[in-house]
Amino acid sequence: MTLPLLARAGDRLTAFIVYVGELAVLWGRIMFLLFTTPLHWYRFLIQARRVGLGSFFISSLVAFFIGIIIALQMAYLMMQMSAEIYIPKVIAVSMARELAPVLTALIVAGRIGAGITAEIGSMVATEQVDALKAFAVDPLKYLAVPRFLSLVVMLPLLAFFATVIGIVGGFVICYFKLSLDGYLYWQMVCDALVPKDILTGLIKTLFFAMIIALVGCLEGLKVRGGADGVGRATTVAVVRSFVLIIASDCFFTFIFYFVFNI
Amino acid sequence: MIEIQNLFKTFDSVPVLNGLCLSVREGETKVVIGRSGVGKSVLLKSIVGILRPDSGSIRIAGQEVVGMPERQYDTLRKQIGLVFQNGALFDSMSVGDNVAFVTDEFMNISRQERGGRVARALSLVGLEGVEDMMPSQLSGGMRKRVSLARVLCMEPRIILYDEPTSEVDPVTADALIRLINGMRDRLGVTSIVVTHDMSAAYRLADSIAMFYHGQVIADAAPEEIRNSHHPVVRQFIEGNSSGPITDDESLKFGHLK
Ligand SMILES: Nc1ncnc2c1ncn2[C@@H]1O[C@H](COP(=O)(O)OP(=O)(O)OP(=O)(O)O)[C@@H](O)[C@H]1O
Ligand SMILES: [Mg+2]
Repeated sequence: MTLPLLARAGDRLTAFIVYVGELAVLWGRIMFLLFTTPLHWYRFLIQARRVGLGSFFISSLVAFFIGIIIALQMAYLMMQMSAEIYIPKVIAVSMARELAPVLTALIVAGRIGAGITAEIGSMVATEQVDALKAFAVDPLKYLAVPRFLSLVVMLPLLAFFATVIGIVGGFVICYFKLSLDGYLYWQMVCDALVPKDILTGLIKTLFFAMIIALVGCLEGLKVRGGADGVGRATTVAVVRSFVLIIASDCFFTFIFYFVFNI
Repeated sequence: MIEIQNLFKTFDSVPVLNGLCLSVREGETKVVIGRSGVGKSVLLKSIVGILRPDSGSIRIAGQEVVGMPERQYDTLRKQIGLVFQNGALFDSMSVGDNVAFVTDEFMNISRQERGGRVARALSLVGLEGVEDMMPSQLSGGMRKRVSLARVLCMEPRIILYDEPTSEVDPVTADALIRLINGMRDRLGVTSIVVTHDMSAAYRLADSIAMFYHGQVIADAAPEEIRNSHHPVVRQFIEGNSSGPITDDESLKFGHLK
């Protein structure tokens, strides 16, 4: 009874490790192409606009609401201890270190990662990727590199703005509901935030960006069959990038905490 | 120009190419005929290296390409144009960008010259003023011709046509046949043409090769094929639904009991 269960778990684990290996290989090939072949700025800019401008509104909106929610939840707790003054700090640190990077990454994985898989996948299904190869154009260079680069550049920016806007969301509650002094709020925020908070958040988003791009491209390129293949690949891509984002978040928080004590 | 020997390709343990041998001389048009699903498209894709054969040898202009590293292959690919059976146009780009694709990727030419090249390639296939349309706005036959124009625009030495006349009207088909013959006569292009249209095959071919069960069972001048006594070839070119091919495959469709 337990043995087949264990064996299944073992299979799952092996499959996971193999998958991470595939992502690593793809990463290596993309990095190689990035540094050995000239970059097509135009293609990069198109993708960057899609990732950046396209996701800015939604990720800001979510961050704003999250800022409000944390402020209210913290108000409930802190008022019992008359410690409302710590709310700005809690908001600033949790947004910068954790919530803004992860939430932005999840939003972008859903919006952009899925789009990458669907786009590349349907190109595979209609032989357009084959056509690229036939015309001596490397599909990785043409399709994956600009998407990878645009995510790596834009996601940290998006997360940074999300942090700021989340803190603004907290400000709205603290100022209007808890009647905290506005100047004091920002003073507390600046006191609480040290460079390493921002930095660890940004380092995480870099990895999240790579996960989104790599999973999106890999699943797209692996598409077999027609519309149903594309649909399935898109679902798989979103699920896998969500899992990998959360898992790597846990991993990095662990490393930052226990190894670097930050 | 193209020498293929003992080519094997298997999909999920179903052999498609089964020791296929074919040779195409420089400046020659080789027409390939055979039942649907016999592996004609697979052969063309193997020649440009989109599909990698399991074993065998393909020599293009004296160079062995089976197992050749991608980078080296790419220099060769720039001289080979493949007209995909389904067109395979890039559907996020306009027709003009599709036709200029290879030019944009590898050549540094002025906007004006690019425009001229695109217009010329399109007019060769009988299309005008469609540069700004998107592939989804075109009819099937137009898409096929844009795909042909995209290949003509790159000015390759070898062109592989996968059923170039299958989706067009008889008038356009005639023009395309003249075009393909003109490419050979005026520019010395080496071609492989896959077609199901026997009258087109006779007009295009310097020689016709018939595929059957993953091998070439006949490879001869059009006249010889037309007068062939090989029962399989006879049944195929006469388009008869009863004969050795159908007996062999024990296919009974089309015959109501
Ligand atoms: N990518 C692939 N994966 C699996 N099987 C394939 C693939 N491509 C082709 N095949 C199989 O190979 C066989 C030959 O296919 P191919 O497309 O070469 O036929 P064809 O001779 O071009 O037929 P048609 O005249 O209908 O175009 C078919 O049985 C097909 O199922
Ligand atoms: Mg075919």
